[in-house]
Amino acid sequence: MICYMKMIRQLLLLLAGTVFLFSCKEKEQQPAVKNSLAKDSIQNVDADSSSTPYVIVDVSPMDMSYYPVNYPKLKMAKQISQPPVVRLIYSRPHLQGRELFHDVLKYGEYWRMGANEATEIEFFRDVTIQNKKVKAGRYILYCILGPASWKIALNSNLDSWGLQQDSTKDIQHFDIPVTHGNPSLEYLTMIFAKTNTGAELIIAWDDVVAKLPIDFSN
Amino acid sequence: MKKLSTLVIAVSLSFAAAAQSSLPPVDQSPMDMSYYPANYPVLKIQDKIMEPLVARVIYSRPKKEGRTIFGGLVEYGKVWRLGANEATEIEFYRKVNIGGKKVSKGRYNKETDTWGSFKYNAEKDIIRTNVLVEKLNDPVESLAMTFEKGGGGINLVIAWENVKVTLPINL
Repeated sequence: MICYMKMIRQLLLLLAGTVFLFSCKEKEQQPAVKNSLAKDSIQNVDADSSSTPYVIVDVSPMDMSYYPVNYPKLKMAKQISQPPVVRLIYSRPHLQGRELFHDVLKYGEYWRMGANEATEIEFFRDVTIQNKKVKAGRYILYCILGPASWKIALNSNLDSWGLQQDSTKDIQHFDIPVTHGNPSLEYLTMIFAKTNTGAELIIAWDDVVAKLPIDFSN
Repeated sequence: MKKLSTLVIAVSLSFAAAAQSSLPPVDQSPMDMSYYPANYPVLKIQDKIMEPLVARVIYSRPKKEGRTIFGGLVEYGKVWRLGANEATEIEFYRKVNIGGKKVSKGRYNKETDTWGSFKYNAEKDIIRTNVLVEKLNDPVESLAMTFEKGGGGINLVIAWENVKVTLPINL
């Protein structure tokens, strides 16, 4: 009789053990939550994720803007002979139901003006911005956000990821005004537009628009 | 051929559309960037850089979307722009050697700051080299390019559909 009880107890233990094992396994097998936002911090960016050719397409796709606008198409169509003036390479995050202020961005904080790789601007000739000379060359771009104006920084820390700014490598700062209440845009959009003295870089996302004037007259 | 002309029409239509609205929608074939060392920008902010910057490729990633790519959309024997939209661009941050020829530091594509290979000019080729084509078991939906460590330096790996090619870049 005792022997019988022992057997039942062992059986129960075994059963409990199996259930425990299974529940552990289930936990392991749960698919990792694909949350681009949770991944978005310096420690959590996985440096190895794109070391295979089977990289998935980014949630925030990269894009390129030129001045003259659509320069590569104009060049192909032989409608332009002079070199381009400026080119911007940036990744385009989207709102996905969030409000830009304050779900995504907060006043007083740094903003990389993009996603993933640091946003890069390249001037193919010397230009002037707010009466400050900017030499031809490649820079990264970020800003410090305020409700009425943003401080744009041109920085020399090239080929870096946008999550961390090294302000000791800032080359120039420009304060630019910001307007709210514009038609809403789902994706961050940055383009160049012609002005009387050169072009302006238009930075638009949600209902916010900021413009960085670039003077071509030396 | 019919397919190709349809494509050209579609492309010219989208040019017109893009010219009209000043704010660009998100591209059908999104752009991407690959570095060697792989993920250099991430390594840089994490202070984990072990080797210097060698190369960067900027390309747009068309999708297969059920189409036959090689031998269909991309015809054999013709120049292919290895991407979409703006011409694919590769930049070397140091002197390298490809197919036995020296390539100096700098930025290359078939002609910088241009659009695809519609006006490809062979005279502006820096080098031409043949690479081996391998078959893949698992198809790749979006054109992918990445750098990996290779025998004489690094390889540029290009994969799409069921095809993978490897371009050795010697350092």
